[in-house]
Amino acid sequence: MRGAPIKLLQRVPLFTDLNKRELQQIARLFKARRFAEGQTVVQEGSGGAAFFVIESGEATVVIGGKKRTILKPGDYFGEIALIDEGKRMATITASSELVCYGLTYWDFRPVVQANGVVGWKLLQRMAKMLRESRED
Amino acid sequence: MKRVVPLGKALDEAIFGSKAVGLGQAIRNGLPVPPGVALSGSIVEAVAAGERAAIKEAAKWVGPLGGPLAVRSSAADEDGASASFAGQHLTLLNVPSVEQLSSALSEIWWSANSDSAITYRQKVGLFTRPSVGVVVQALLDPDSAGVMFTRNPVTGADERVIEASWGLGEAVVAGIVIPDHYRIDRSGQVLERKPGYKKIAVRSVANGGTVEEKLSPELVERLCLNDDQLGELNRLAGRCEQIYGSARDVEWAIAGGTLYLLQCRAITKGG
Amino acid sequence: MSAGKGTELHFEPPSPGFWELDPVHFPRPATRYWMEVHPEPFKRGTAEFARSYGMLIDGLEMAYVNGFAYKAVRPVAEDQLPERFQRAEEVFKRKFWREQLRDWNETFKPTSIKAHRELQSVDPEGLSDTDLAAHLARCRDHHAEMLYQHMRFTAAAVVSIGDFLAHVGDWTGLPPAELLGLMRGTSPVSAGASAQLAQLITAIGKDPRAQKLLESKDDPGRVLEALRSLDRNTGAAVSAYLDLVGYRLLDGFDISNPCALELPDVLCRAIRAAVVGRGADASDVEGRIADVRGKVPAQQRARFDELLEEARLTYPIRDERGVFSDIWASGLMRRAALAGGRRLARKGRIHDAAHFVDAGLDEMRSLLSGADGPSADELAKRFEYRAAHSSKEAPSVLGPPPSPPPDPSGLPPAVGRMMRAIGIALEALFGSSEAPHEEHMLRGLAASRGVYEGPARRVSHPSEFDRIKRGDVLVTESTTEAFNILLPLLGAIVTDSGGLLSHSAIVAREYGIPGVVGTREATERIADGTRVRVDGDAGEVTVLA
Repeated sequence: MRGAPIKLLQRVPLFTDLNKRELQQIARLFKARRFAEGQTVVQEGSGGAAFFVIESGEATVVIGGKKRTILKPGDYFGEIALIDEGKRMATITASSELVCYGLTYWDFRPVVQANGVVGWKLLQRMAKMLRESRED
Repeated sequence: MKRVVPLGKALDEAIFGSKAVGLGQAIRNGLPVPPGVALSGSIVEAVAAGERAAIKEAAKWVGPLGGPLAVRSSAADEDGASASFAGQHLTLLNVPSVEQLSSALSEIWWSANSDSAITYRQKVGLFTRPSVGVVVQALLDPDSAGVMFTRNPVTGADERVIEASWGLGEAVVAGIVIPDHYRIDRSGQVLERKPGYKKIAVRSVANGGTVEEKLSPELVERLCLNDDQLGELNRLAGRCEQIYGSARDVEWAIAGGTLYLLQCRAITKGG
Repeated sequence: MSAGKGTELHFEPPSPGFWELDPVHFPRPATRYWMEVHPEPFKRGTAEFARSYGMLIDGLEMAYVNGFAYKAVRPVAEDQLPERFQRAEEVFKRKFWREQLRDWNETFKPTSIKAHRELQSVDPEGLSDTDLAAHLARCRDHHAEMLYQHMRFTAAAVVSIGDFLAHVGDWTGLPPAELLGLMRGTSPVSAGASAQLAQLITAIGKDPRAQKLLESKDDPGRVLEALRSLDRNTGAAVSAYLDLVGYRLLDGFDISNPCALELPDVLCRAIRAAVVGRGADASDVEGRIADVRGKVPAQQRARFDELLEEARLTYPIRDERGVFSDIWASGLMRRAALAGGRRLARKGRIHDAAHFVDAGLDEMRSLLSGADGPSADELAKRFEYRAAHSSKEAPSVLGPPPSPPPDPSGLPPAVGRMMRAIGIALEALFGSSEAPHEEHMLRGLAASRGVYEGPARRVSHPSEFDRIKRGDVLVTESTTEAFNILLPLLGAIVTDSGGLLSHSAIVAREYGIPGVVGTREATERIADGTRVRVDGDAGEVTVLA
């Protein structure tokens, strides 16, 4: 079977409003990627190429040297650099054996453009982040 | 469209990548290249995506090589004369057998699509999706290996510059040791032999992967190439120049008394 | 008082004077045993060679601070100067090193080998606790004597080679590293080779079973045992070779380092390599000597021949004085200590046999006799301390800087020649600071052109990347592809390892930033944040400020 398991994508809030056929189309584009404990998944300041969803394991998010949060199965990350083609905003490190499914830019962008609901969810999350950063 | 071919039949860079086609050309010209197969960018992508049929097909072709294997990326637009992409793509040495092949291919696909690889591509003006093929060959267990430039990269002089160390050439390419440094002129006359400081050799390990082995003291500063071997390398340099052109970056290894060509590409501007 | 970089250890000079860290010979802290046994014979042996060669120093001293090795040079008393001046002249006139070489070959070396073999023939496992304690004391005394012997022959090992490097360097402009190449093939008993190895190669060459064993990918320990037990000449030749080299430490000097028999994989590879005859032949040396001689001004060529002959004659002693002295004795001490450790670990008195090397000799004897001694936890702590710390954390100097050495041109010629010869040889052979103290400069391979000045950033691992700022000079062991991401930020690259064709050199050239690779010790000697000048044309890195 090609791509990410549908069950995984169904748990991801970003994709919950898609129907089964849409999910299947998107799932096919994902590729599995494994990280060992302690491995850097994404490095703050570098260019970004992929968006990830966590299937199993956990990862820590560090911004400017300060630990911010822990990502768990069903969480996703990495979309912002793909949207504005800017630098990674955080360093994400696997804190255990981590299995992710990833989409690179060339697959991510068409998915977002073709599925308005996905785009809407991304906008919602970014608005939330914007508010939170103003409160910092 | 064939997705896997024997290395000697790799002709189309857009499909199999420049490393495969370069090695294929070497084989077609009778140069000593370890036997192998070329996997196309599309089958590598399919394996990375988890497609069972692709995994089976790759395994079918690679199986006869036996194990252990050297699995190396062969990207479609790498190795151009303007950017070396040195170190951007992945070489997986000692994949023990075909069973571990699909995870090796997945790792290679991701290394070509990693943040740093994509950023590098953009920096050198490539904005399209990368396509990465793979070369799979039988892994050598070399006594000595390294790199040869057919032109001095620092002075530009018309001479062969060779850097060598014990074991797998990783030690030289990745700069793990201070390698022996030799210079030979075109006629084969040795201009310089400078022993390095080679405390470590990279060796393959029984269950897969490689290890950095600490070398015994008398090997650390002993020259690992004798004059006969330097002569052979000079002849190989000449053959590479005939086939590919001048200013070549050659990776080589000597195993079981035979000199093998592992890679031959253009020396990049300034590289 | 100065604190080590980033640790809670405090460092004070062990006694008044100027002390320099020796990270080259002692990259990690030493065992208690070593710290107790080493300083006295070291001081005695160096004082002796300094006196007998007419040097302007009273020998060297080694002391340990937080386990790290520091060396001081002891100046000679003024009233000794006339004697020293005279002695230096005599040494050159008489070619004193030849006498020492003869002493070494005819007396010291064979006597030492005999003493090693005597101790080696005792199997510590079979001894009672009392006898083992006595054996440990004997090994220690032997070790101390061998340490003295090693230092005593240092001048013999380096004076004529240094003299050669100094003169020929002046005449030809060739660097020491290249001139040292002319020493190859100086003796059938150069490092690694020996009559026993020659016999082993012959025996294996005639025995297909041995060849098959060597080629197999079997467990190396089993391969060696199988080779030993072959009948006819082969097994005997293997045993004779292993008896000669088996208890030599593979690296370092302290009893914390493994000896050859503990790493059968390395032994197997060494035997394989010797059997196949890899490595450059001595035969090409003649050609290279002729090349260099051709660069020497005609009127100096006779002198060149003479200096070369002396250098080649004494060169073998450079390795031999260690290998046949303390390198072997240390291995024997280690063997005895590990035997003691095993039985104490079985009794539960210590946590692991390997921790026993962290006891001093008296403590070892105490523990074996069941009396008081360091607790299991204490020994474990000492063991872990050594593993957790490296000389990178220790300040490179302690105490006030010394006055500059005397200007050689003001000294009697023989003395100046002596100091220069020894200084150059020690620098070239050991990269050590016995050489006259100069501005902090490192040499490596000129990998990428240009000169750049900026702050050094010591970064070893991608996790440290966020410390790099635009314009920094990257100082690291070697670079992997992960470092590429930093390249747009860097002003220059400096590495410990690597050659001109390594990945880091290639990318430095591509990015057009100066690069010096293969410096060996940049990460040891360049502190984070110091301003450095990287000269990618000359292959030099200078620590400014």
